[in-house]
Amino acid sequence: MKKVKSFLKSWEFFLICLMVLVCIAFNLKDSANLAAGLAKKDVFNFANIIKSLRPYMLYSFMTLGMMLILALGDMDISVGAIATLSVVVLAVLYRALTVGGMISGLAFALSIAACLLVGVLCGAINGILVTRFKELFPMIITLATQLFFRGFSYLLIGGETITFKDDTFGLLKNLNSLIDCGSFKLPVMIPIFLICALVFFIVLHLMPTGRRIFAIGTNATAARFSGIRVDRIKVGCYIVAGLMSAVTGLFFVGATSSSVKADIMDGYHMYAIAAAVLGGFSTDGGKGSVIGAVISLFIFGIVKIGLGTLFGFADSSVNLSVGVILILSVLLPNILEDVRNAQRVRRQRAETAAH
Amino acid sequence: MSEYILELNDITKIFPGVKALDKVRFNLKPGEIHALVGENGAGKSTFIKTLTGVHQPDGGEIILEGKKVVMSDPIVAQKYGIAAIYQHAASYPDLSVAENIFIGHEFKRGPFINWNKANREAKKLLDSVGADFSPTVSVGSLSVAQQQLVEIAKALSMNAKILIMDEPTAALSRRESEDLYAISRKLRDQGTAIILISHRFEDIYGLADRVTVFRDAQYIGTWDMPVEEHILVHHMVGREITQLFPKKKTEIGGELLKIDKLSRTGYFRDVSLNVHAGEIVGLTGLVGAGRTEVMEAVFGITKPDSGEVYFEGEKITGITPIEAMKKGIGLLPEDRQKQALLLSWSINYNISLSVLEKCIYGIFLNRNKEYTFSDDLKKLLAVKAPDSNTHTGALSGGNQQKVVVAKQLAADPKLIILDEPTKGVDVGSKAQIYEIMSDLAAQGMGILMISSEMPEVMNMSDRIYVMSEGKVSAEFQAEGLTQDTILKAAMPKSKE
Repeated sequence: MKKVKSFLKSWEFFLICLMVLVCIAFNLKDSANLAAGLAKKDVFNFANIIKSLRPYMLYSFMTLGMMLILALGDMDISVGAIATLSVVVLAVLYRALTVGGMISGLAFALSIAACLLVGVLCGAINGILVTRFKELFPMIITLATQLFFRGFSYLLIGGETITFKDDTFGLLKNLNSLIDCGSFKLPVMIPIFLICALVFFIVLHLMPTGRRIFAIGTNATAARFSGIRVDRIKVGCYIVAGLMSAVTGLFFVGATSSSVKADIMDGYHMYAIAAAVLGGFSTDGGKGSVIGAVISLFIFGIVKIGLGTLFGFADSSVNLSVGVILILSVLLPNILEDVRNAQRVRRQRAETAAH
Repeated sequence: MSEYILELNDITKIFPGVKALDKVRFNLKPGEIHALVGENGAGKSTFIKTLTGVHQPDGGEIILEGKKVVMSDPIVAQKYGIAAIYQHAASYPDLSVAENIFIGHEFKRGPFINWNKANREAKKLLDSVGADFSPTVSVGSLSVAQQQLVEIAKALSMNAKILIMDEPTAALSRRESEDLYAISRKLRDQGTAIILISHRFEDIYGLADRVTVFRDAQYIGTWDMPVEEHILVHHMVGREITQLFPKKKTEIGGELLKIDKLSRTGYFRDVSLNVHAGEIVGLTGLVGAGRTEVMEAVFGITKPDSGEVYFEGEKITGITPIEAMKKGIGLLPEDRQKQALLLSWSINYNISLSVLEKCIYGIFLNRNKEYTFSDDLKKLLAVKAPDSNTHTGALSGGNQQKVVVAKQLAADPKLIILDEPTKGVDVGSKAQIYEIMSDLAAQGMGILMISSEMPEVMNMSDRIYVMSEGKVSAEFQAEGLTQDTILKAAMPKSKE
């Protein structure tokens, strides 16, 4: 009973309600469209939503990494640039190796490894800078590395668009494929993402490491005096964030027909931060829930699909609605708390007066 | 017109979930120092915030010079001539002394600030409080004691009739405290009424003309000083404290910790000392003598430049905190709210934080093991809280300190270093902490206690080291020692 009560009060429950509400609203609009003869058949149904989620799931992997950074109380705005640099390295290396005469399978495997390694290295650079120069805000440090990583991508390929037409590189397209599940088609991205999210859930909420990460985000000094290796854990988290960015890059290349440019995935860090914050992670650190962040990712996707297909808004103008949801839902707990406190004080005052 | 400049009657303040003040009374005569005392959580801070307009009372009245007033916000309180000085001076560290003093009521010449006049007037105010620094230096470069003088000067610049001092000596050395006493007396003799809040009996007995006691959000009484100390303590705690320092005779065992000529440039030099099992060693000296820094180097928070540290005969120089804890060293840091506790976390989570690897089942954290740990320790140390899920931020200072001790004990140490273990702790909890220390020593644990409070150093220690200007200036056996001998050793040689 107590558990049910605390679940009903939880942020995750609020997000589920929000998601259901959004779905109901879109469904009503969908039926209205049908009845008015504006559309021939309903577009806002389960099969369509699941299929259309693909572009909005790309930054979900980045969100997982961002969760760790936010839990530490830090901020990493270089994740989008890391993703770009890692796929630029992937493309440049693959082209060089195949032109050099290496068999494409081996070249592909080496390039993928290099791509992930670049993510890890970029993350390590962030982590080392952040722990070494504690007097600087992590946001400023990652702003600098963001510019550096993106500049480095331009240095490697300039304004060129690298496209591969061969089958080996085309394997990446499988990351964007759909699995036939009878009545609907499931993007392969979703089960992969959910497995990753499960791993993050276990580490962050069920293992000592996660508790230590939240402890650092709550009070880094006290964590250090408690024998927690603060710097080592921080560097580790930045490395994971970098790795997840490289993974995001691979999915992106898969979704864009195997072409790579130096200006792709600009602004992805903002989506990642937005989803994590709506999921309950605070920029002050020490708080957050993986489940909440996962639900938030789906909410953003559904809102964008609904506004796009039913109202015909362009994707970039839909960002406005994401902004509104974010502000309102983050403010909501504060407003509720104020109302609750006011009620409690009024009750106590009445009791005092009665005595 | 009554003899009081200020009267507060039946003040009630309710916060969500707690009644912070329950019909309390307080009055103040012009030209007196009136001490307000009570344990942590008795409602002193809330009371002061109500008086200065930070909080609005839910009931009761404030009468200032015979007229009923409403302190709707801090600026109104300021206009009525009420100024407060806090333990951590709430000033602007990057602005100059003169800017800090006149902020909000600057001298203007047209739309511009008249700096010449501001600096001149600031100099006059600083002279009147006996400060010898220039009004143009930045406040951040001053010592805590000097910053407090700036705050007092600021209060004078606003013609404050009522001055509130909240734990003014908590961060001051003995000599600085004496200076502050002298200024306070001077202000009183000039007719300023002063409300003094302090945990230090030295402050209360040295300064106060009258004393009012709050306990559990209620008014207990007001007395003319001097009141006998044990009676005052009885009113504050609500029970008799039979023995404040329950030191037991213990068997002194082998050497646990040995520090040999440890140095860190700019902080301490050639520090050598040792601690045996079952022994309580006091390490005293003035604030800033380098005591805390030595212990942070031993525990691995900072790295020493030269010298060695041995624990149970093994060299451990330059280890990390986690290694120190595994060897059996615990450190209770000086600032428990910043360095020791996660205030938004529960008692249970705080205690288990440094021993998470003992609370796992497979790779997963096991809540039951955590609770077993924390509940045992919580019971052992008599932490007063509804349950282990209570946030540590909601506990009183004394109970917070017990949680920190419990956290150290969870790691099963052989030696614990206590840095100012009773700072900001009320007298009831103090006695309990001393008892815990005695018990631990009796069980064979070595205890190294850093403290500036002479009574606890002299009554709890077996042996005492004194540090001055980064060096160990003396070592004494505790028996038959007088306070003067210790103070002499603590004074910087250059100033004698």
